[in-house]
Amino acid sequence: MQFFFEVLIGGLLSGVMYSLVALGFVLIYKASGVFNFAQGAMVFFAALTFVGITELGVPFGFALILAFGAMILLAIATERVVLRPLVNQPQITLFMATIGLTFLVEGLAQGMWGASVRGLEIPGIQDEPLEWMMENTGIGVSKFDLFAAGVSAVLVVVLALFFNKTRVGRALRAVADDHQAALAIGIPLQDIWRIVWAVAGLVALVAGVMWGARNGVQFALTFVALKALPVLIIGGFTSIPGAIVGGLIIGASEKLGEIYIPPFVQSTFGLETNLGGIEGWFPYVMALLFLLVRPEGLFGEKHIDRV
Amino acid sequence: MNERTIAERITFHDAIETMEVDFSHLTMADTVQVDAFYDEVENRLADTGRRWYFLVVYTDCVIQAQAWERFAERGKGANVAHGLGTVRVGATSQTRDAIREHAGRASFRANIYDTREQAIVALGEMRKRRRDAQTAAEETFLRVENVSLRFGGVKAITEISFEIKRGEISAIIGPNGAGKSSMLNVINGVYRPQEGTVTYLGHPRHQMETHEAAAQGIARTFQNIALFKGMSVLDNLMTGRNLKMKCNFLQQALYWGSAQREELAHRKKVEEIIDFLEIEHIRKTPVGRLPYGLQKRVELGRALAAEPILLLLDEPMAGMNVEEKQDMCRFILDVNDQFGTTILLIEHDMGVVMDISDFVVVLDHGQKIAEGTPNEVRTDPVVIRAYLGTTH
Amino acid sequence: MLYREAGQFKASYKEDQQIFPIRQDRIAIALILAFFYLVVPYFASQYWLQGIMIPVLIFSLAAIGLNILTGYAGQLSLGSAAFMAVGAFAAYNFVLRIPGMPILVAFILAGLCAAAVGMVFGLPSLRIKGFYLAVATLAAQFFIVWALTKFPWFSNNSSSGVITAQKVEILGYAFETPEAKYLLTLAVVTVLALLAKNMVRSSIGRSWMAIRDMDVAAEVIGIRPMHTKLMAFAVSSFYCGVAGALYAYTYLGTVEPEGFNLDLSFKILFMVIIGGVGSIMGSFLGAAFIVLLPIFLNVAMHALGGWVPQGISSNLELIVFGGLIIFFLIVEPHGLARLWQIGKEKLRLWPFPH
Ligand SMILES: Nc1ncnc2c1ncn2[C@@H]1O[C@H](COP(=O)(O)OP(=O)(O)OP(=O)(O)O)[C@@H](O)[C@H]1O
Ligand SMILES: [Mg+2]
Repeated sequence: MQFFFEVLIGGLLSGVMYSLVALGFVLIYKASGVFNFAQGAMVFFAALTFVGITELGVPFGFALILAFGAMILLAIATERVVLRPLVNQPQITLFMATIGLTFLVEGLAQGMWGASVRGLEIPGIQDEPLEWMMENTGIGVSKFDLFAAGVSAVLVVVLALFFNKTRVGRALRAVADDHQAALAIGIPLQDIWRIVWAVAGLVALVAGVMWGARNGVQFALTFVALKALPVLIIGGFTSIPGAIVGGLIIGASEKLGEIYIPPFVQSTFGLETNLGGIEGWFPYVMALLFLLVRPEGLFGEKHIDRV
Repeated sequence: MNERTIAERITFHDAIETMEVDFSHLTMADTVQVDAFYDEVENRLADTGRRWYFLVVYTDCVIQAQAWERFAERGKGANVAHGLGTVRVGATSQTRDAIREHAGRASFRANIYDTREQAIVALGEMRKRRRDAQTAAEETFLRVENVSLRFGGVKAITEISFEIKRGEISAIIGPNGAGKSSMLNVINGVYRPQEGTVTYLGHPRHQMETHEAAAQGIARTFQNIALFKGMSVLDNLMTGRNLKMKCNFLQQALYWGSAQREELAHRKKVEEIIDFLEIEHIRKTPVGRLPYGLQKRVELGRALAAEPILLLLDEPMAGMNVEEKQDMCRFILDVNDQFGTTILLIEHDMGVVMDISDFVVVLDHGQKIAEGTPNEVRTDPVVIRAYLGTTH
Repeated sequence: MLYREAGQFKASYKEDQQIFPIRQDRIAIALILAFFYLVVPYFASQYWLQGIMIPVLIFSLAAIGLNILTGYAGQLSLGSAAFMAVGAFAAYNFVLRIPGMPILVAFILAGLCAAAVGMVFGLPSLRIKGFYLAVATLAAQFFIVWALTKFPWFSNNSSSGVITAQKVEILGYAFETPEAKYLLTLAVVTVLALLAKNMVRSSIGRSWMAIRDMDVAAEVIGIRPMHTKLMAFAVSSFYCGVAGALYAYTYLGTVEPEGFNLDLSFKILFMVIIGGVGSIMGSFLGAAFIVLLPIFLNVAMHALGGWVPQGISSNLELIVFGGLIIFFLIVEPHGLARLWQIGKEKLRLWPFPH
């Protein structure tokens, strides 16, 4: 049982990471209706840029700011080069364009900073079990994971405040509902897109730094980021709470699944082979099954096409 | 056999569509008599070309087993046995049993009455019930009953009932957001109403799949043009005929023999529609490149390609200039005239509605506020108020 | 005035419904076929045949498969490579386990296996659209590769799922030289391309496009979405499956599940986008383009000499691919196929551009 909880908590905490990536998707999808496949590449780009800058001897905090600056530039360039020429195109075209963007951004990131795996240290936070928790319950919970969860929580609160309390934030929400209404607020659509992509860039940066600190900054990050897709399906494409809850569900179930399902299948069918490594597809298949039951996601609204 | 010939024993009652055979005081002992009788009956029936009830009077009649056998044999393939019901009168209880058995073997329904008069009354009633059922089926070409439709909290339609007749042009009018499009969408299964039934061609239904409506002969155009933008005019119309194409995909992949013949046959049909709508010059053009008015026309063509029984048109003339509107009016009237298609349309242009429709339903805020002929509706104060209330 | 439609009046609908209604097109196609069947095998080097022509043909077939699904039926898929893997492994097992199995039959059966698997993963398309579906196909991508790696039965107990294709023999003739393999591949691809072209110009193709362009309207005219979409998944996966079998048997000889990864799926998607969404011809152009581009980049880099830093070339490839995708989507959404057509139209007017 102790082991079960350890796996569960570990899974939930790594799910926080998925949530962070999914959050970036949701922000962009809500404001521009674009399904940004490149969010994972942006995470990679942000992490690599950040590491690259720190390697030049820039202190941690300042490097963060510079990396955020790079994400803002990326947002502006994306709006200008990809989104503006494709405005009013079918969603699927924009989606494919973001696949192109994925390759472009990955190529750029590695071209600028090299393709080797880098370590990333967050000062003062180690990936070791929390002592009192270990002593009292025997369950090992990584300090680092807790820290990551805390940062994510803060990020979500900040975003919520931004969307609900600031003028720009409200405009962003209006855009999500109705482009015409947003124009009436007096903020050009292009600015809104830039801002939203920049915010998504910030989220990508936070996610990238967290992931990087945990597993090293490497190309595999982009695959991990793909897992945000099943998260979105479970949570619904337009819901921030959905992204969070979906991330936790995926994180927990994939870790529990990995531990319990392969041995179970092996013993039931008397197989000798090791069936491990189901993490690679388990979230996607779960999302599929989920789709069959509730296509609009946990928090999404049911929608009937208007004709 | 006694003095009357068989021909003399047969009388037709046109009013109740019944053929009366009088077997009174007759003894039937052999098959020859039965054959003679059946030959005569078949002769007489062949001339009429209709189906008749069959009334047989058995007063003091004796039919022997051998004759019954023959009756059963002849009765099987004969017109008579396919009749709508057989009534026999004045038989002894022995005869009744024989009749029942015989009816069973020749598989038709036998009702037995005590007197000839009773039988005629009963037949009259049966006849009337049948006719009523028939006319009912015809009259409820399309009946909408207590239909309600909600989207989340929005009530698009509230308890609407109306009926339209076969062969007519009916119109739904009402201010913006009144629920007109939603009504059409309910009729052809695009939206599923929470409550109510739609009876089409005598079949009531609550909810249905959209493609089922198409299979039942309902075609449709949309308020916002819903053509297949990536395809040419010709392909759009050909797609309209998809339900009529029977070749499977393997035959299509080979494009040989039957698949090719089928394609050509449908191409011909589609060309007729192209001629009818006067769009020959654009048949190969991708529809996305056509001006709005022509797109509307192509959309009508796609619906017509399915050879529908009921055609639903959602604002077919919206956004057109006067000339285009006139063309479209002409097409709609022609479709109704030439193909006998029943049409239900939504239109904002009152002039057009009054000109071409036989019957008008007025909706406002999801409710029916009036219905009737164009003239009745035009002068209805409730309608006038609804229109003034929203357009100003 | 080489290429003129004028004067060619169609006397019947039958003539108008031909696969290539314009006479010059028919001549051109005949010339192209003659070139690839007769000229290429004699004059192309071994490297060209084995390293370029065969993969281009195989990828063309896969691209046709994806084009049927994405270009014609509008259902996005990121799992084409996985369906190729199903085809490759199925063909291997049919030949391995059924003695005397003719290779062409094994290819067809392999395609059918892929079709069945494709339909299973296509089921969610009934309830979801667009990028939701992308996720479903990602599930196929990851699951299939995993399963082929993890269950040794599929690869006859070889380590990490590597299989080596058996000899290709038809009626006693062994296809061993690059020329023979090339011709076999070419024959399979020509036939399947022709069938695909026929399908997309018939009722089934129109149903696919109708679902793609406006699904509600399609349903309203009686097209059953479930049937139509599953059909697209099946046919598309069949094509990918056969392509996968060819990939193992006439191209690489030895393949492993990991070779059919997400990257390959993306490559096939790029072939479709760049070649032309919704065009059989475009699938060929796109495949050729994507196969040749890295080779061209490499050559260009070498021409530039040592000036280009190491490691840049693979990144350059990423950047160029990504950039081209965006470029094509913006500037020419119908891809190379459209350019081809514009070229023809120019030719049609030449030398009098009015
Ligand atoms: N698919 C849908 N989802 C949510 N609400 C809908 C949908 N379709 C219609 N509605 C709502 O139902 C109500 C009736 O809409 P409907 O389109 O039927 O009106 P209409 O009479 O056709 O108006 P118009 O003249 O503008 O076409 C409106 O309030 C509309 O917003
Ligand atoms: Mg409407």
